[in-house]
Amino acid sequence: MTIQQPLDKGAAAADLQNSAAVAAPAATTSNGLPLPARKEPPPEKPSDVRRRSYIILSFWLIVLCLGLPIWWKTTTIYRADLPLQEMLDWADGKACRPVFPLRISIQANALQEQEAQNLLRLTQHALDDLNDFSGHHLRLQLAPPAASENRDHDHDSVLTIRLLPGETTTASFDPHAPVLDITYPPNTLPSPTSSSSSLATYVAGQLRSTFAEEQATISYLLSTNSIPSEHRPQGLSPDVADSLSKRTTRSLKYAPTYHLTFSLFTSGPLPSSWDIEDAIHQYMKPVLDVLSPIHNFTIDTQVQLYATPGVQNQVLNKEDLSSFINAAEWPLSPSIGGAPTINFVVFAGNQTIAVPPTQDSADSSGTAPAPHSWLIPQWGTVYLLSLPSDTAHLSSEALKQPLLTFTSHLLSLTGMPQSGSLPLRLSTLARIRSADLLLRASSTLGSLARLALALPSISIPSSVADGVSKTMAHLRLACETLGRPEGLAHARVAEAEAERAFFEKSMVGQLYFPDEHKIAVYLPLLGPVAVPLVMGLLNELKAWRKRRREAAEVAQGKKKE
Amino acid sequence: MRQFLSLFWLSFLSLVFFSPSAASAADYHEQLVLRPLPQSALLASFNFRSNTTVSEFEKGNFRFFPRSLGQILQHAGTRELHLRFGLGRWDAESWGARPWDGAREGGTGVELWAWLEADTDEEADRKWLTLTNALSGLFCASLNFIDGTRTTRPVMSFQPEGDHATVSNLHLLYGVLPHEVVCTENLTPFLKLLPCKGKVGIATLLDGHKLFDASWQSMAIDIRPVCPADGECVLQIEQTIDMVLDIERSKRPRGNPIPRPPPGHELPCDTSKPYHSHDTCFPADHTANQDWSLSQIFGKPMKGTCPLTDPTVPPVCIHVPDTRSVFVSEGVRENKSASGASRCFEIPPSADFDMVLPRPSESDPAANQTPDSAIVPPETPLLYAERSFTGHGQERGGVQTILRNPSPDAAVEFIYMESLPWFMRIYLHTMEARVVAGAGGSAHARARPDESSSLIQQVFYRPAVDRARGTQLEVRMRVPPAATVFLTYDFEKSILRYTEYPPDANRGFDVAAAVITILDPDHPGPRSDQGSPAAGAGTSSSSSRGSGGGRRFAAYTLRTTTLLCSLPTPDFSMPYNVIIFTSTAIALAFGGVFNILVRRFVAADEGPEAGLAVLVGRLKGRLLRGAGQAVKGKS
Repeated sequence: MTIQQPLDKGAAAADLQNSAAVAAPAATTSNGLPLPARKEPPPEKPSDVRRRSYIILSFWLIVLCLGLPIWWKTTTIYRADLPLQEMLDWADGKACRPVFPLRISIQANALQEQEAQNLLRLTQHALDDLNDFSGHHLRLQLAPPAASENRDHDHDSVLTIRLLPGETTTASFDPHAPVLDITYPPNTLPSPTSSSSSLATYVAGQLRSTFAEEQATISYLLSTNSIPSEHRPQGLSPDVADSLSKRTTRSLKYAPTYHLTFSLFTSGPLPSSWDIEDAIHQYMKPVLDVLSPIHNFTIDTQVQLYATPGVQNQVLNKEDLSSFINAAEWPLSPSIGGAPTINFVVFAGNQTIAVPPTQDSADSSGTAPAPHSWLIPQWGTVYLLSLPSDTAHLSSEALKQPLLTFTSHLLSLTGMPQSGSLPLRLSTLARIRSADLLLRASSTLGSLARLALALPSISIPSSVADGVSKTMAHLRLACETLGRPEGLAHARVAEAEAERAFFEKSMVGQLYFPDEHKIAVYLPLLGPVAVPLVMGLLNELKAWRKRRREAAEVAQGKKKE
Repeated sequence: MRQFLSLFWLSFLSLVFFSPSAASAADYHEQLVLRPLPQSALLASFNFRSNTTVSEFEKGNFRFFPRSLGQILQHAGTRELHLRFGLGRWDAESWGARPWDGAREGGTGVELWAWLEADTDEEADRKWLTLTNALSGLFCASLNFIDGTRTTRPVMSFQPEGDHATVSNLHLLYGVLPHEVVCTENLTPFLKLLPCKGKVGIATLLDGHKLFDASWQSMAIDIRPVCPADGECVLQIEQTIDMVLDIERSKRPRGNPIPRPPPGHELPCDTSKPYHSHDTCFPADHTANQDWSLSQIFGKPMKGTCPLTDPTVPPVCIHVPDTRSVFVSEGVRENKSASGASRCFEIPPSADFDMVLPRPSESDPAANQTPDSAIVPPETPLLYAERSFTGHGQERGGVQTILRNPSPDAAVEFIYMESLPWFMRIYLHTMEARVVAGAGGSAHARARPDESSSLIQQVFYRPAVDRARGTQLEVRMRVPPAATVFLTYDFEKSILRYTEYPPDANRGFDVAAAVITILDPDHPGPRSDQGSPAAGAGTSSSSSRGSGGGRRFAAYTLRTTTLLCSLPTPDFSMPYNVIIFTSTAIALAFGGVFNILVRRFVAADEGPEAGLAVLVGRLKGRLLRGAGQAVKGKS
């Protein structure tokens, strides 16, 4: 092996001779002028070379085994484990199939046991034929005759049918209890052998029409959420769906407590006082009492003089109604505390509404056509009261019409169905609300799961995981007890927990740590430190490769020799 | 004649209309008191007061009482509330005593104190948080920034004004935001609380442009329960706006708001001076020719009266000597008071009201005697107070308050309260009061020690906790007649954390005004400190304030100006500088050590050649070789 090489051969020649790579490559210039010869350093001891390799290796080991894990540990964002798949299942409706088994008891004291059983079987059959929505199922049962003597209504069943013999076939609702009285002429009773009966068909038809609205509403709710289609009812006609969607957008989000604010706005200085308390007590309190199992209500009232409405026209068009409320000046701020506020505004002025009552306003106010009032979805009602200009005080009689309107609007704002007797409507409302809450909580869970998937850098504190597990537990319970009062309570808790988990404050803060900041923090340190480390590693690798080649050459040379 | 008849009809009709609600008419009243001050200033005090019975309030039936505020009070368990928005400085030297004896004003910024019903301190803190957050939304002010560091529980300075059945479970909390800039967005919600909404009555004169252009202004809301001896307890809300307008400034038309020097011939000159000539002018006293009208000053006339107001309270009053004539709109009745220094006007309900105060005529004998006789001379306040920083540098400082008792024969006893931010760490041992006898200040003799020690009678001090609460210092002091007292103490400025500096940190940090409550000598309120503060207070009702409700132990309240404390502020790009600096240092050290460990050292002539010459040579060689190849290729 030669270390010195002929100078005139130049660099190209040196490349050919592998062994000469250490020899000064800059020792020659292209014009071939000889440079003074440079001394070579003495050959390194192999132990030194090995030590250098160890040093570099240990630095890299420290970086990889200690630095990286520490960096990883200190900069990762805490993400609690969420049962993402399960949450998505809830949102897709795979986890729960909302089923409302409704039990209806039949009291037929005038009939023989045998006859009654037969009638029940036939009616159930007729009902099953009519029903096309498996989620909403009516099941008939026979009330024990002894029990029916002392109490009218069995609390396990949603409706009691009292069959009474009479002249003609009639049906009427009891106004105070969920009881349907059906009279029948004796000849309509089915014979034990017959497979059909006009009375059974009649009863089935009555039941069907009674629960038609509830069924439609629930199936609408299911269809607007992503419930798999096999659970959906089929024939929901577009106009029914349309009116249902209007009704649901109009009604407020469910809350256990609503705050009612009654405001008297007058365009001038008068009237400045009103007997609102008496009027509420007289005209509205009965309905509030009826609603009390589902909602609590708190009430306050105010009088505001010199109020300028948002629209000054004498005659209000349909477009003006939406901007009539002067939000900038009228003190209609929502109440503090958690309860949503429903506003009932009496405006004493001489403005009138031009449009004839449309379909909306006619069906929203059950008691009277409403030429003076209109309902503002999810907000409340405005009633225009025209008074003689010198009225200083509004008596409770003068407030009768406004308050009756407010009452009926309150029912539609709370999402109350419109047909049937009041007790029946109430129990229907409870079922609709629990279905609604269930679906809402499920979809919130789904949104949270999608959020967690979509934003990998968002932190998920353990309180969120906690909320999610609570939500799911209550959802499961609610799903099992749908249609019963506990179902509503569980759904309520589930919804509240889901909302709390979704709107967790500490999740948002971490979201906006931009990448530029990370670069600005890391680069000044990592750049200068990484350069010698990487260069050292590269040099060492190069030297190692050269040593191997040399060793191979030496071995080859020995072989040749 | 016809006018007279129509007027008659009007008043008759109004009588007929209001008779049904006459019983409740006393539930609301409003009054504007105008008071010309020396140096071309005008004090306008608006007062609106409405009552609601406690039972109606608890049922949530609001008529005159604003619902939005009522809900907040119910929600936060507040029994008595005082909210102040203040701007500017009251020039006591020339304007005299403050309106309402200082009871309806706050320091610059926002001040809030309230008595909350709570069983424990923690519950009170929670309710206080609710209250400040809700009020912050209602009044568009940053009241939600009143946190633990800005909240104190004064021991001596405040006493409830209302009648409370029990005081044992009431907690007084006091918060102040000196940095808050009071502006139009605070006035709008204030007006919304009024029953007549600023559409009629004296509130029509309130306009953000004029109000916030004033030399000094204060908006106050006071809510307190008042239990009359006979009848039901009522909850009273009193809204007060006081402002001192500069007449010259206010009269400037809106279209031409830039002040320009008047031409020479319009300058008001004192012609009695011997050197007065066409090119020399000694400015005449402003007050001598104060003439203005209501619509000039406020930009518009007043629109009628609020129909709900108590008919026995005249809506507008003015304090000028009876000798001066005041012109008013038609149909307005003038009632002069017996004292001869004020007159009030009864205004028909639906007519614009304007008032002109003309320049006192030359022939008027009263006006010519002294220039000040054109206005009612202002009262002398019980105490003058000034506060300022002393010392220099970024590390330490001092506060000096100069308290001057102008009265020649009566000592003044008062409570001086400071609520300081936690980053001003005061040294209580340096607190010192020294008296300088005589108001002139020429006799700078240090007072005798026994006299000096009797100045400070009682000190309540609650030291600050870093980042948790501020310093609270209450000092009961006594200033001898015709003496000036210097109250001084030193403090240390602490260094804040990087994130604790507000935007524009170099401006400095506002330090809230000191509250000075002068005790009523006839009614020594909190002398028996921890006992029931309201005991024995029932009999004294301050008739001087003219307001029926409430009673107080304080004869007079005043506040000093706020201070601007400059703390050492860092360079705010500091974190990145620090990161880069330390990173560079670490990288240098690491690179050096690493290279020493890894490189092999050889003699200079043994290693590969290095340096600039080698680089240049290599470059040259490459170029020449490239050229030579090109030549070869051609040949």
